[in-house]
Amino acid sequence: MEQLADVLSSRRASGLPISVPYVMVDRRRRARLGALLRALRSSGATAVELGYPFSDPIADGPVLEAAADRALEHGTDWAELLRQIALAAPVLPTAVMTYANPVWRHGLERGIAGLARAGATGLIVPDLSLEEAGPWARECRRAGIALVLLAAPAASPERVARIARASSGFLYLVSRYGTTGAARPTASEELRPLVRAARQASPGLPVLLGFGVRDAESARRARESGADGVVVGSALEERLATGASVESVGRWFSQIARAPA
Amino acid sequence: MGRRFGPYGGAYVPETLVPALAELEAAWRAARADPAFRKEHARLARTLGGRPTPLHLAPRLSARAGGARIWLKREDLLHTGAHKFNNALGQGLLTVRMGKPRLIAETGAGQHGVATAMIGAALGLRTEVYMGEVDMARQRPNVERMQLLGAKVVPVRSGSRTLKDAINAALRDWIANVRTTHYLLGSAVGPHPFPSIVADFQSVIGKEIRRDALRAFGRLPELVVACVGGGSNAIGTFKPLVRSRVELLGVEAGGPRGAPWGAASLSRGRPGILHGAFTYVLQDREGQIAPTESVSAGLDYAGVGPEHAWLRDSGRVRYVAVHDDGALRAFRWLAEDEGILPALEPSHAIYAAVKEASRRSPDQNIVVTLSGRGDKDLEVVLGAARRRP
Repeated sequence: MEQLADVLSSRRASGLPISVPYVMVDRRRRARLGALLRALRSSGATAVELGYPFSDPIADGPVLEAAADRALEHGTDWAELLRQIALAAPVLPTAVMTYANPVWRHGLERGIAGLARAGATGLIVPDLSLEEAGPWARECRRAGIALVLLAAPAASPERVARIARASSGFLYLVSRYGTTGAARPTASEELRPLVRAARQASPGLPVLLGFGVRDAESARRARESGADGVVVGSALEERLATGASVESVGRWFSQIARAPA
Repeated sequence: MGRRFGPYGGAYVPETLVPALAELEAAWRAARADPAFRKEHARLARTLGGRPTPLHLAPRLSARAGGARIWLKREDLLHTGAHKFNNALGQGLLTVRMGKPRLIAETGAGQHGVATAMIGAALGLRTEVYMGEVDMARQRPNVERMQLLGAKVVPVRSGSRTLKDAINAALRDWIANVRTTHYLLGSAVGPHPFPSIVADFQSVIGKEIRRDALRAFGRLPELVVACVGGGSNAIGTFKPLVRSRVELLGVEAGGPRGAPWGAASLSRGRPGILHGAFTYVLQDREGQIAPTESVSAGLDYAGVGPEHAWLRDSGRVRYVAVHDDGALRAFRWLAEDEGILPALEPSHAIYAAVKEASRRSPDQNIVVTLSGRGDKDLEVVLGAARRRP
């Protein structure tokens, strides 16, 4: 199984764009997950983020909040997450994105080790600030998975540099003020100094932009800021929620993955 | 002031909020050290708020208990009807100091929302209050008050549509508008530095209890009681007394009899991370936040301030849960014995105080923080009476 960090950094080294879809884990979608991820891989996806639902997702906008509510109603639990990691990891390098409490509840050490055993090679926690990340980073190192930290436009370049040094796998740069799925465009001029600060602090670390990347145009603008790639969540979930076929999702994603810089 | 109370507290927040939390902490530290700020704060607490509030002996309630004397710390007499004024004033002044033109807040019972709407009007700040739809229905008068005070009340329709969901919505607004907006968090919960700031602005309650007890009966009380939802009136009551020998009792909402959770995070929860803090949280085996239940919207919350979590573990404060029916009975006791309509939140504390008083000798003194008045709860109380005559 390929490591998230290796795949992303070698892709960055060869100057190729990185595109990472975010897919909410939902018990009722398990049967379709393999086909969906294979289609996304064929369309240029470099890795996948599996979202694990939390009852109080404060960093998420309405689309992913509704998806999380549905997934919980469908009985999605930690065991289901582990099953779906095992399905995803042979197809694409797999990171898990979830809030701090579900991981904490399963025991920081046991929880993270379990994710790694199932095949995950990255963990992303949107409500984990740099100040609290220490023990999490230790457990992730011990389990051999990357702890991806988030940076945001509100931060100074100095802070972004500190976050980049502490992050592994990639740096998740939040493209704007707001929750996931926001429709307002990203101002690449504002982000460029932050991307540059991350680069200088941690030269080999890929920088991916997320929150508000929803089509080829916003992906192109994201890459204009100097980022190595994008994460696409809400726009993909909108398509899955309205019953789009795996093929049409794949076609749509390929426009994002192949958007020229 | 540290980020943690024992192991509890911290700031588990999206990165976007970190600079705003740092800015808030810096503004608060500077304000505390600024005599002009302290003077203005004290003046408005007095002339706008009505501080200090009295310590009132409740003789007939004491007689009902048949033991220790019960005193009421009358935060219900404060402007806008609850202790929430203390924090709204303090953070309102900090907002002006930070130069932010807009306030947002969450509210459960509506008391914090009313206090925020009031201070927004008084200081000329644009104000929006997030409130769960369930709470809007059961605390209608407060919705109308907020609107009359010029605030926009935004209904929250996600999750359990109560306080927790209102906090989620306010946090999302703050993430999007953090450059122009202060989130006036209403309880001693949330990420650092909120629990410390709120405790600081509320600790006037405990300081006045200390002073007035010495004046009224020449010593500190044997027992001090306060209700705990997020825990702001309780931390304000306890904090100045933590180093004394006074016995401290926090009273959580047990909810309806037989309900699995009620809203008793300290009694029935376990440590976890909610709304930016590591604290006791009502949650299921999967770490999903549990649906809470309480007759009082203001206590109906799955978390609790992290300092209470530490006071519980360290054994300094004892925490118990009182069921809905106990609170409703205490509401009537206070109305009939003392001519005071308490809010349903402190009614939980009144119930526990009467039980404690009945086991103690008449030379002991018990102080209960009467954190708010009950006008907002008449519909709930009368509705409960109709269901069970």
